[in-house]
Amino acid sequence: MAVCFAPFAAHAHVEGDMAGGLVAGLWHPVSGLDHVLAMVAVGLWGAQLGKPAVWSLPVAFPLVMAIGAFLGLVGMGLPGVEIGIAASALVLGAMVLTEARPPLWLATTIVGAFAIFHGHAHGTELPEDASGLLYSIGFVTATGCLHGCGIALGLVHRWPAGRVLLRVAGGLVALGGCYFLRGALV
Amino acid sequence: MNSRGGAHRTRQRPAPVRFVVSVLATLAFPVLARAHLVNSGLGPFYDGVTHLALSPDELLGIVGLALLAGLGGAAFGRMALFTLPLAWLAGGLLGMTGRITVNLPTATGLALIVIGTLVALDRQVPFAIRPVIVGGFGLVEGLQNGAVAATGALPAGGLLGIAATAFVLVALVAAGAVAIGKQPPWTRIVARVAGSWIAAIGLLMTGWALR
Amino acid sequence: MRTCTDIAGAVPERTPRSRRRADGWARATGVRSAIRGLRLLVAVLTGITPAFAHEIRPGYLELREEPANRYQVLWKVPTAAAALGEELAESLGQTSRPITEAALANRREPCGCPSLWARPRSPLTVSIHPVFPPEVRPLAPPVVRHETDAELWTWPVQAPGDGLAGAEITVHGLQASTMDVLVRIVFRDGQVATRLLTPTAPVLVVEATRRTGAGGYLRLGVAHILLGVDHLLFVLGLLLIVPDRWMLLKTVTAFTLAHSLTLAVATLGYAAAPLEPLNAAIALSILFLGPEVVRFRRGETSFTLRHPWVVAFAFGLLHGFGFASGLSTLGLPAGEIPLALLLFNLGVEAGQVGFVLLVLALGTSFRVLEVRWPRMVQALPGFAVGSLGAFWFVQRTALMVMGWSR
Repeated sequence: MAVCFAPFAAHAHVEGDMAGGLVAGLWHPVSGLDHVLAMVAVGLWGAQLGKPAVWSLPVAFPLVMAIGAFLGLVGMGLPGVEIGIAASALVLGAMVLTEARPPLWLATTIVGAFAIFHGHAHGTELPEDASGLLYSIGFVTATGCLHGCGIALGLVHRWPAGRVLLRVAGGLVALGGCYFLRGALV
Repeated sequence: MNSRGGAHRTRQRPAPVRFVVSVLATLAFPVLARAHLVNSGLGPFYDGVTHLALSPDELLGIVGLALLAGLGGAAFGRMALFTLPLAWLAGGLLGMTGRITVNLPTATGLALIVIGTLVALDRQVPFAIRPVIVGGFGLVEGLQNGAVAATGALPAGGLLGIAATAFVLVALVAAGAVAIGKQPPWTRIVARVAGSWIAAIGLLMTGWALR
Repeated sequence: MRTCTDIAGAVPERTPRSRRRADGWARATGVRSAIRGLRLLVAVLTGITPAFAHEIRPGYLELREEPANRYQVLWKVPTAAAALGEELAESLGQTSRPITEAALANRREPCGCPSLWARPRSPLTVSIHPVFPPEVRPLAPPVVRHETDAELWTWPVQAPGDGLAGAEITVHGLQASTMDVLVRIVFRDGQVATRLLTPTAPVLVVEATRRTGAGGYLRLGVAHILLGVDHLLFVLGLLLIVPDRWMLLKTVTAFTLAHSLTLAVATLGYAAAPLEPLNAAIALSILFLGPEVVRFRRGETSFTLRHPWVVAFAFGLLHGFGFASGLSTLGLPAGEIPLALLLFNLGVEAGQVGFVLLVLALGTSFRVLEVRWPRMVQALPGFAVGSLGAFWFVQRTALMVMGWSR
């Protein structure tokens, strides 16, 4: 992976920025446990939901998240971002725990709404001096990879023991969400 | 409590991650040292090739267009194969005259949004719009390259290198996308995810330019 | 900016040239005007194809520590372009006049340094020269020796008491060129530092701890094949006449084996090919493939089309000598040769494999995209191979004949 990105790193004009922008972008989505849990939970849930959802979620998610980030970048406020993010881990974890099967549109809306919160948080917290283009590439790539990890983990859904394991993982994510929600509210 | 401050995070990086990050940075460095001049040391043509290879935004646009064209079928792919490099070259020559300028960060960002979204949606693009998208993107990027060439930072022959690279890239990626299109439908999802990433990057770029 | 008075302090000695004698012979036999015409033609032909006139042979700068802190400098720069420029100037009636020392002192290199050259240099000449920091003092004026394809400058310099470490060596004019310069520093304790200076990175800082910059040879190899349009065109010609994958593999392997063989033989010094006839022969090998491509497209057959690998092997031997010119002009010392040869060869093969894969991938892509080329365009690659081969053959033969007439 590193080798693939090395050429990209050369684009920006201030040396410190270049690698910095890409690394910062790659780093940001994986830097917060609350983010990571939510992203992976989306993947897990997608795998549980099966065919149409597991296709449409990875396509829709980065786009919706980028819209959130765009809002954050241009300075449009979004109330309760921290609460929304914490709640996303809780709700998505709960969905995986209960193997909930809402209709596709509802599942997409839930995930999309949370994606906006996550994206907004990233958008407002961008480092001032980084190269925007490289940061964006790193950011989207890392998010997509987290997502992919969730889906790959979710493949254990095929086996009965795997199903139980997935639900346990969902429970853990939901617990983590509770903890973060407490942190966000207090 | 805001646990997401950038500096706060940096200090928290665990050792293995720090290692990976430093390896990444080290690998990136030899290339960084060369990025000041668009000079490959191999003459104007290769300067152009290098310029394109070091411009991820332009590369993403080309790959996105080629995916869009390839998913749309061989005919669309053929059209893009010839239209894009020619439009790019025309834009480059126009840009060298200095008459027309483009504010690139937003223009490329918007182009990436449009192209990426179209790929992600995976719908047939109407015939009338196809050349507008392909030619428009080529013109806009070519204008920018031409402006760079006019300042002397890129030799005029470099435009040829850029157009040739665009041609090769479109041929390879579009052919790949055509092949994907003939596979069972779930393989198209790979291309669609790529499109969604491209659109997301375009959105972030645009937001960055506007903030 | 640092100036280069340190080596331009005195007028370089001139070497006797055989030109004057040759001129007498030409006048006596009455072929002078014909040769002049030929020279002019070649100069014009070369002038209109600047894209192929890239200097792909690298320059070479060696610093050899003889007694402690005293270095013998060897500066070797290829001069094909220089010779040609002089032909052009002479055929246009501007014969070189003897120069006074005062006039010499006033002439400047494009970089602003005082001129190092004892004779007028044409605009076609690559004007590059090494520059040392002021604390590295020249001990004697440079001695210049002219070889058929290079100019050799040697002079001793004195490094400061704490050695050469930290000294910044620059090659002026490199940025504006497409040349590479290999720098090699041989210290008294036997350690060797090697670095490749490129148009992008024309500065070298001598390190206290030295490593051999092996990557430089690899890069030289890649650059040599990427800029060697004639070699690439020959490979393209081969690709156009092979009927299937198996034959392709056999042909490309035969070409690779053959040119690696002669590259090694030439670099190790067991055999040598004079540059000018060699270049003409390489052009002939490309020209040879042109009609074969046409034959292949018409569905006819020939020995070459039945056994392309034999032809690839035979001509590969020639091309190997050509590749060797990229290394041999460096005048590498014996100890360094095996590693340099291996890496340079690997670089050439990497470039060649990349080119073959690119052509094949493009061919596959065109098929998948169902591109239907007009007949004219279909014939284009074959005609390009044939006509460029013919053009280069005429051009290089003319250069060779001009060389003889001197």
